Amino acid sequence: MTDTGFLLRSSPHLKARDSVPKIMYAVVISLMPAMAASFYFFRLKALAVYLICLAGCLATEAVFLRVRKKPMSSLWDGSAVITALLLAMTLPPDLSWDIVLIGSVIAIALGKQVFGGLGNNIFNPALVGRAFLQVAFPVAMTTWSPPATLVIDTVTYATPLGNLKFQGALAQGTLTPLSDLFWGNTGGCLGETSSLALLLGAAFLLFRKTIDWRIPAGAILALGAFTGIFWLTSPQEYASPLFHFLAGGFILGAFFMAPDMVTSPITPTGAWIYASGIGLMVGLIRLFGGFPEGVMFSILFMNTFVPIINRYTRPRILGQRRGT
Amino acid sequence: MNLSVRMVVVLTAVGLISGGLLSVVNLLTAERIELNRLKEIEDAITQVVPGTVSSQKLYEEDKFTVYASKDASGQELGYAVYASGTGFQDIIVLMFGTDPAIETINSLTILEQKETPGLGAKITDQQAFLRYWKGKDIRQPLTLRKPAVGSPEELGATEVNTITGATISSDKVMGVVNLSLERLRQIKQEGKLASGDGHVN
Amino acid sequence: MSTKSLSAEYLKGLWDENPVFRQLLGMCPVLAVTNAVINGIAMGLAASFVLILSSVVVASIKKLIPTQVRIASYIVVIATFVTVADRFMAAYFPPISKALGPYIPLIVVNCIILGRQEAFSSRNSVGRSFIDALGMSTGFVLALLVLSSIREILGAGTFLGMQVMGSWFKPWIIMILPAGAFITLGILLGIALLVEQKTRERRAS
Repeated sequence: MTDTGFLLRSSPHLKARDSVPKIMYAVVISLMPAMAASFYFFRLKALAVYLICLAGCLATEAVFLRVRKKPMSSLWDGSAVITALLLAMTLPPDLSWDIVLIGSVIAIALGKQVFGGLGNNIFNPALVGRAFLQVAFPVAMTTWSPPATLVIDTVTYATPLGNLKFQGALAQGTLTPLSDLFWGNTGGCLGETSSLALLLGAAFLLFRKTIDWRIPAGAILALGAFTGIFWLTSPQEYASPLFHFLAGGFILGAFFMAPDMVTSPITPTGAWIYASGIGLMVGLIRLFGGFPEGVMFSILFMNTFVPIINRYTRPRILGQRRGT
Repeated sequence: MNLSVRMVVVLTAVGLISGGLLSVVNLLTAERIELNRLKEIEDAITQVVPGTVSSQKLYEEDKFTVYASKDASGQELGYAVYASGTGFQDIIVLMFGTDPAIETINSLTILEQKETPGLGAKITDQQAFLRYWKGKDIRQPLTLRKPAVGSPEELGATEVNTITGATISSDKVMGVVNLSLERLRQIKQEGKLASGDGHVN
Repeated sequence: MSTKSLSAEYLKGLWDENPVFRQLLGMCPVLAVTNAVINGIAMGLAASFVLILSSVVVASIKKLIPTQVRIASYIVVIATFVTVADRFMAAYFPPISKALGPYIPLIVVNCIILGRQEAFSSRNSVGRSFIDALGMSTGFVLALLVLSSIREILGAGTFLGMQVMGSWFKPWIIMILPAGAFITLGILLGIALLVEQKTRERRAS
């Protein structure tokens, strides 16, 4: 097919209010509160990570557009910017610049462009970049520093979920308080610590109908049900669902990554299946997996099922018989 | 010749020639392969009980073997214990040496492992892991020091260092050693560690 | 029956019909043992040994073998040489034998070897089969060398165990894990296709 940029079909046509850049920049705006929170909690370290990610992602995107002879204007459609911001938000504040740069290049190159660019990628590009870094530099990717707002005399600091899993925080009563998780006054990835800031942005997206509400809803219900059952049977052994919602990258993942239009199902039923799969996987990994956190793996895992979910939840055409 | 007879004849011939060739190869290499295996164990014993001149198998059960190691004059230097257990990914086979009273560990060496390269696989690394095991007090079960420290002096007498990012592998190795020590004491008490020169307690 | 010149018979294994990059055969060892250059070379040489000898033997006995039992006979021949290679390595190179583990015995099911017997040695002369096997082996060893070099340098910062990257370099551990094998192979295959496409375009114009 020659890529003219237009798809010629017979009427009826539907004029869409949204365009790719409009949607993308709405997401960028929705990420602003969380970015502001990360500047507040991690200061200049956060700024450096954001800038390197932006530079790395945009440069890689530009190189690919150039090589593949695509219009350079696509560089500013906002998709690479979102990848950069989301990737930065999932990185530990103290990550050294070269690792951040490798992650951004991988995110765009292996996460998006090798599949043919925006719209063709199977996986969320930012998460591909992060997954690569997680496996390539496991020590650097799990070394956390406390936020600048906490006066603690240590260099390293465990995340709330790490505390829960490896230090037995629940038994010792040292579980991070919910209020700290809500405001963001705790350790973790740059953009994941402040639930409040993330929820503000998410409310904007939901209000604007940029994201499908079923996806965060489904993920929350599934994670809530899964962790809730264990919590109810043995509260001294398992943390509450509320803790699981607020800790780690769940809100960031459920509202900003899982609903990514390219890598999530297009049908409402499909969205429910996809989202509950994510919620369930997060619960499974957090409670019984080797890693303390599982949002990234869960989303990537469910991304692989999107084509098949789309296929089997396709709505019936009026008058068509089932199974044809 | 009838086709089916020919098929049988050809396959039999191919099989026989192959079998003959392989038995020759086996004759030529079997001895060396066995030697390699023994040498590996001997090397490991010398490594975990320094000064070993001769060693003798005292006790053997499934995946657990105790060797007595002796110096040139026949003086017993200690025990070398060959043991294994499940690691993070696959079985870890290791050997460690103790003094004759089973009070301190001489050193530890990892013989086989399939832990994650770059992470858990550091259990074979002298600098990152094994050097922290030398001279540990084993009258109490060993414990893991986490987060890791930078030099052996910072550890307590019964503490061993963790590999940063590979807590599970470090823990598994410690588990194998602790379990083996328990077993070693038990069989010593049962009198099964009699030295082989005629004295049976 | 192949009618190529003997040099073309050899050279086709290097690029045009490279077993790894063009035919996508023998992926199991290609992915599994290329985490270090020494393992890649050892696997390459062991597979070459088996391929060359099997090809010669199959080409010389091809007339005797009824077609119905040819695959069984080839496999017995291949398995014999694999066992020879396996025992030999265990006896003389125990560390490498240990590092390659089950992948040496698994050469028996390497499609390159059975593929060459079926596609080439069973219908060409002994000499030609030898040249063909030699070319395929060279191509296989080269592919393993390229893949394992990239993976070892990026994944451990070393080449054949020698430090080649400066102390500033942080090893990309993913490269010596299975995921790194798939990523590297995927990128190399993409490059190979691109080169092929460009040369074809140039030939056409």
